[in-house]
Amino acid sequence: MKKKLAAALLLILLAAGFSGLELKLRALPRKKVPGAGILYIPSGKYLKYATFGFSGLMADVVYLWAIQYYGNEEIADRYDSLLHIFGIIAELDPRYVDAYEVGALIATNDLGDTSLALKVLDIGFAKNPDQWIFPFEAGHYAAVAKDFETARAYYKKAMDIPGAPAIAQRLYADTSFKAMDLKTSWETWLEVYNTAQDDQIRKIASNHLYQVKAAADIAALRKAVAAFKDRAGRLPGDPGDLVRAGLLPVLPQDYDGGDYVYDPATGDFKTAVIPWKR
Amino acid sequence: MGTILSIEGLRKTYSHGFVPRRAEILKGISFAVSEGEIFGYLGPNGAGKTTTIKCVLGLIFPDAGRIELCGRPPLDPRSKEKVGFLPENPYFYDYLTAREFLDFYGQLFGLASETRRARIPALLKLVDMERAADLSLRKFSRGMLQRIGLAQALINEPSLVILDEPLGGLDPIGRKEIRDVILRLRAEGKTVVLSSHILQDIEMICDRVAILVGGKILSQGCLADLVSEKILFTEIVLSGVEARELAAHGEPLSAMSGRTLLKVYDESRIQAVLDLVRDRKGTLHSLLPRTQTLEDLFVGMVRPR
Amino acid sequence: MRLKTVRVIAANTFKEAVRDRILYLLLGFAAAAILLSRVLALLTVGDRVKIIKDVGLASISIFGALMAILIGTGLVYKEIEKRTIFTLISKPLRRHEFLLGKYLGLVLTLAVMLASMGIIFLGLILVQTGALEGRLLLAILFVFFELILVTAVAILFSCFSTPILSSLFSLGFYLIGHFSWSLDALIKKAHPGLGRTLLRVAAAVLPDLEHFNVRTEVVHNLPLPGSLLLYAAGYGVVYAAFVLTLAILIFRRRDFV
Repeated sequence: MKKKLAAALLLILLAAGFSGLELKLRALPRKKVPGAGILYIPSGKYLKYATFGFSGLMADVVYLWAIQYYGNEEIADRYDSLLHIFGIIAELDPRYVDAYEVGALIATNDLGDTSLALKVLDIGFAKNPDQWIFPFEAGHYAAVAKDFETARAYYKKAMDIPGAPAIAQRLYADTSFKAMDLKTSWETWLEVYNTAQDDQIRKIASNHLYQVKAAADIAALRKAVAAFKDRAGRLPGDPGDLVRAGLLPVLPQDYDGGDYVYDPATGDFKTAVIPWKR
Repeated sequence: MGTILSIEGLRKTYSHGFVPRRAEILKGISFAVSEGEIFGYLGPNGAGKTTTIKCVLGLIFPDAGRIELCGRPPLDPRSKEKVGFLPENPYFYDYLTAREFLDFYGQLFGLASETRRARIPALLKLVDMERAADLSLRKFSRGMLQRIGLAQALINEPSLVILDEPLGGLDPIGRKEIRDVILRLRAEGKTVVLSSHILQDIEMICDRVAILVGGKILSQGCLADLVSEKILFTEIVLSGVEARELAAHGEPLSAMSGRTLLKVYDESRIQAVLDLVRDRKGTLHSLLPRTQTLEDLFVGMVRPR
Repeated sequence: MRLKTVRVIAANTFKEAVRDRILYLLLGFAAAAILLSRVLALLTVGDRVKIIKDVGLASISIFGALMAILIGTGLVYKEIEKRTIFTLISKPLRRHEFLLGKYLGLVLTLAVMLASMGIIFLGLILVQTGALEGRLLLAILFVFFELILVTAVAILFSCFSTPILSSLFSLGFYLIGHFSWSLDALIKKAHPGLGRTLLRVAAAVLPDLEHFNVRTEVVHNLPLPGSLLLYAAGYGVVYAAFVLTLAILIFRRRDFV
């Protein structure tokens, strides 16, 4: 009995010893760059073969590690390899949608690098052409960055994928407008209006149609005013002058059939109502 | 002569299997071995001979009982300083050569290197393994392993040598050689404990025996005392007399090329048989009285179970 | 405990381990891995020497651990299985002397193997950079302390389990030891309370082999405090002592049927 007690005591003592040392070791400041070895892998293709069919699991592991890695503010240059790492995840498990989304999120939110985010989403889309979410989110990021040309190209891609939500089309129309492609915008909004399933969508569509028409009309009106100023050396007194001067066949009316408001002091036009308050 | 090994009331039960099944192997063993004798430990397979030996050497922990080995309990390493052991079906480190192997065990006994250097060749000669001294044990045959195992058991010049089935797997010449080695050990004053189920060998060399059957010692003592000198029957080989006529006196057995083997149990009948042979003008070929052998004793003990 | 006896067993174990072919197979693989780092360096953009150091040291650590596990898990088991232990225990030898001898013999073998792998590694570094860093030797020393612990664990399992199971358990120990960062992440995310306290206890008790991993410091040229080496070495030794004590306790009352 005594021997057993002595043995148990010894074990407890030793366990206390190494636990104590462990806590001391943890307290030591050490720069952690956990698992940075993964950066050395040139391509996920080789890693895939090395995982003997567990590439999905490996993708999960790498993804989890990546989250920790990117959450670690101490590593200053961690974004340099974002595309590389998410590329590896893509190779291991092409259908891992979350990974791409989060990668892009990290790129925009933490780094502020929209083009990087778009690259990540492009990889995702290339591997998963049936997932509308990729061009959809890409369009969103591009729009936030005010690159409306790129945004609308993405939205077009998104809306063409079967199963994409209706809003994709509307966003396409909207970004087309913002990219100053009024023709496409008009056509698309018209289509939305005609195919709308409920009144709310119809109202939205009509508001936008109003807005597009207004933009086109006002552009034409402004052009005429400039030409008038050129010719007459002054601003027209009222819009009718433009017709009388032969610069416009007829005064354009807004979508609701109303007139545009002219400001003789500045020579500028604006809409009688705010489009979405009609 | 003192007692070099004493065992009292030894019990051991094994429980194995996931749902423990208990098997009582040793049911209270007691015997003692005196210095300078060759002691035979007999029993059929599974009786518990090896288990007893392992308890003596500290390989197995008995449930009850007292063991004293060279005056000390088995777990005390000093008790083994003068003990040599050869296990049954020995396996040894196959990556060592015979010489390295003996050297290793010599070192464990704390033998100085000069001592080892002197003793190892002598031992190799004793067990006739000189030519294989630098061969790795991987290449040894069973008989060779047995011999080198015996050498290993003697490396420390032990007072007590324990051999578990040392003669198994050897050819008749090998067995004679090992028997001679054992007899020589006794001549040198050593004690040998020999466990076996080959009775002829035991009969030839042992002074005392204990017979273990089913975990119990059924009989122990001097061989001479156990095996009576009484004549069991007489075997007569003769020819020229009809079997029917012989039947009255004994048991006629085979009849080959005209010869009959007759077993006569009653001594008084022998004369009558001889007279019969003479009357019928037959031939007496041999007359052999048979006493009890160890085998007879042994079988008699084991059979009833 | 008689040191002489332990020494004899250790020397014999060294002989046994060194004559085991699997050791050289693993050494070959380790050499290949170290040299492969050179190839990887060609494919990477950036600091080439960094990758050689990192992959080289990682290979040494992994293959060292494999050697410790593959040989260690067989050490005691083979003796029992092949019944060579019968003749051994029947000699004037205490059981714990036997175990310690086996352990030290294997540790000695691993030291030799580490030195061999280290020479190949340092040779490559020398060829690549023309200079030798003392810190690389220090990193290999850390690996040695890690292996001290891994070997103890392998021998513990070898006392009661077949080599295959023992290898799996030992490998499990090694992997758990290197995934301590996930436990840390869990602790950070856990709500304060019983769960978190339990996790903290687990973190203190479970092996943390990352303390022996100084690759980051060596590769990124960060400071390597002396206290780290001291505490890490101490950790390795004390934990190994704990594991060996456990092994001895299990081994002592074992019947060798």
